[in-house]
Amino acid sequence: MAKSQKTAVGRRGFLKGAAAGTAAFVTTTPFADAQAQSSRPQEGGTGAAPAPTQAQVDRDAGNVRPPAAASRAITRPGSDLMVQTVRDLGIEYVAANPGSSFEGLQESFINYGNPPNRIPEFITALHEESAITMAHGYAKAEGKPMLALLHGTIGIQHAAMSIYQAYYDRVPVLMIAGNDPDFIAAHTAHDMAGMVRSFTKWDNEPKTLDEALKAIQRAYNEAITPPMGPTLVVLSTELQKDNAPNAQVPAYKPPTFSTIDATRAKEIAKGLLDAQNPRIAVGRLRTPQGVKRAVELAELVGASTSTAATNGPMSFPQRHPLCGPGVDTNYDYTLGLEAPGAQASITGPALAKIVPQRDTINVGFGGISGGANGGGAGRGGRGGGRGAASATPIEADAEASLPLIIDQVKQQMTSGQKARMQDRSAKHATANHEARITALTQALEARKAGWNGTPISTARIYAELWPLIMNEDWCLASPSNFSGGHNTALWDHNKPYSYLGGQGAGGMGYGAPACVGAGLAAKARNRMVINIQTDGDLNYAPGVLWTATHHKLPMLTVMHNNRAWHQEYMFVEYMAGVRGRGGLNAHIGSTLRDPFIDYAKMAAGYGMASEGPITDPTKLSAALKRGVASVKRGDPYLIDVITQPR
Amino acid sequence: MRNSSLAIASLLGAVLLNAQGGGRGNTAPANNPPPTSPVTGNAANGKNLFYAYGCYACHGYNGETGARPFVGRWGNLATEKGFIAFLRGRSNVAPLVPSTSMPNFSEASLPDKDAKDIYAYIRTFKSSAPPDVKDAPALNAILQAAKQQK
Repeated sequence: MAKSQKTAVGRRGFLKGAAAGTAAFVTTTPFADAQAQSSRPQEGGTGAAPAPTQAQVDRDAGNVRPPAAASRAITRPGSDLMVQTVRDLGIEYVAANPGSSFEGLQESFINYGNPPNRIPEFITALHEESAITMAHGYAKAEGKPMLALLHGTIGIQHAAMSIYQAYYDRVPVLMIAGNDPDFIAAHTAHDMAGMVRSFTKWDNEPKTLDEALKAIQRAYNEAITPPMGPTLVVLSTELQKDNAPNAQVPAYKPPTFSTIDATRAKEIAKGLLDAQNPRIAVGRLRTPQGVKRAVELAELVGASTSTAATNGPMSFPQRHPLCGPGVDTNYDYTLGLEAPGAQASITGPALAKIVPQRDTINVGFGGISGGANGGGAGRGGRGGGRGAASATPIEADAEASLPLIIDQVKQQMTSGQKARMQDRSAKHATANHEARITALTQALEARKAGWNGTPISTARIYAELWPLIMNEDWCLASPSNFSGGHNTALWDHNKPYSYLGGQGAGGMGYGAPACVGAGLAAKARNRMVINIQTDGDLNYAPGVLWTATHHKLPMLTVMHNNRAWHQEYMFVEYMAGVRGRGGLNAHIGSTLRDPFIDYAKMAAGYGMASEGPITDPTKLSAALKRGVASVKRGDPYLIDVITQPR
Repeated sequence: MRNSSLAIASLLGAVLLNAQGGGRGNTAPANNPPPTSPVTGNAANGKNLFYAYGCYACHGYNGETGARPFVGRWGNLATEKGFIAFLRGRSNVAPLVPSTSMPNFSEASLPDKDAKDIYAYIRTFKSSAPPDVKDAPALNAILQAAKQQK
């Protein structure tokens, strides 16, 4: 409370200062009246928050006229420098649902610079949860964060679920929350970040503009260093709006990533070179650069590899000639990169590492603590060989450690070894191709089931779509687990962003906004985003369809419309069964019927081109072709497909 | 207690899956011939009941897809008597974790008459799979593209 009042005094001081130059600005603006009348938190008060004053309501309703100022009092607002700081970090997009607590910042984002509204571009979100999940999807596609703005206490709480998912998924998201202690009391708090502290990596509420600019840089660095995660800077309206004619953006210092030491790099290189059949198990790395380095190492030593590319982004290309079981599955040296490995496993710090500092009230979210490396959102990466136990993980960033290992391999490798490895690579390539064809043949046989049935099988959606996009640059940004996961067997996940994986914490409402975020990444890169969209998931915040349309994102949405939250339907049915009550009522609360939802109309309402519902499997392929063509023209498209349950 | 319950549930799940003829989605459809045993129920009513009881949730609308497809792998569903015994004989152990195993249907919750109608309906199910991958252009295109990747 005291802090709020102190800041309010600061605001008044600012207004007085402005009055010296432009008396009319202060004395005639209705905004100043609103400030004077604003309700502030009551010291020790126990009653309900005071209702907004008429002046506040008028302002929110747009009934307040701006002052007829003769000259601008503010020539260089602090928010311009904040935007410059964000721009210097290379952040491409800022997503927000508008809020008065960051109006100064928003004005700078859209008007500051030449050209304005570029790097970052302002993206209109219809819900804070959507804004954060857009950032979540973007970061998984690009391996770097974008920014989301949150409006005070209410914006942070709207965003909380998405922040939680990004945290569990160890995805970097940069967030700025506005704090206006003088406007609507219920939108402020004396520790705003405290609401999400337990599931963010770092937060700060700076008191000066210089601190604010440094905090933005620090938040970026904290977000991108393992364990990666969402970070939050709370910026008062005063810092955003104060004049700052002499302030400078501080020099940016990139973060350092922990690596293995030189001795360990030597040992690993020797192990890989001496082995007769080395193996590299690749989990989820941080950035596309890490993937390139993993490929370089595997090719240097002629190791067969396993990949987590069918679980999520930033892993080894699934159809690289070295990816697969290889010519011999008796591996005598396995290196794990963000994955278990029998002889060596390099794994970055888990979320458990930051819990003691962040979860000070001991909420104790499940699945984070425990395990050899603290548990927490494993990164796939099995495949060290049948029955292979993992070496004790070396806590270091695998991606940052790769150059050290590669250098050592190059130094130690003899010409004889080089020839042996080239020979081994060729044998692996042949074996992996054969294994691929065998596995694919089996997978296709399995996906024939229900091929011509109605409603349409989920396998047919993936199978019909793949030939249409296999020669395009694509990104499957929606989780595929509820729609059969058919991409894992039928499609080729060869890019760091081919498949972005699951929700993080298993929370619904993720697919569409994550695809919009991936669509932002795709737009400037001539890439298309595929969204196999479960119906229950879309209904959390369907407004993202408008965002995709408004910003012309290359996103093809194909509804997996089974008219239910089907997994829950099955669970409730079983529960009713074991209690002897039968399944007649299991649909209550688990299905979406009476009436069915028309998703083509929903999309049309948001301005998105759409068609459906489609129930006839013979009409699916043509619809998908129309959808792909639309997206390639730059217009997102939705196809409502009535499907089998799973 | 929790672990032992889970172990029991897991074991029962495995046993009962075999009893049904086995197979989850994403496994190759079996080609067992459809049963020829007598059917006494009303298939038209069974269609409504198949939907009302949520059978389609796990078995798909046509018995071919989903968590537990059964077309082509009829197992204990080969006869009406076997089907009803299968419904009645399921586990009533309540695991502490959610399960998609086959629920128990007692006589009180699913009378024999309704069970027979459902059976009559599922006996109308036939495979809609093309005889060969090459008969489905999309599936064939996937295979041919993969073969050319080397």
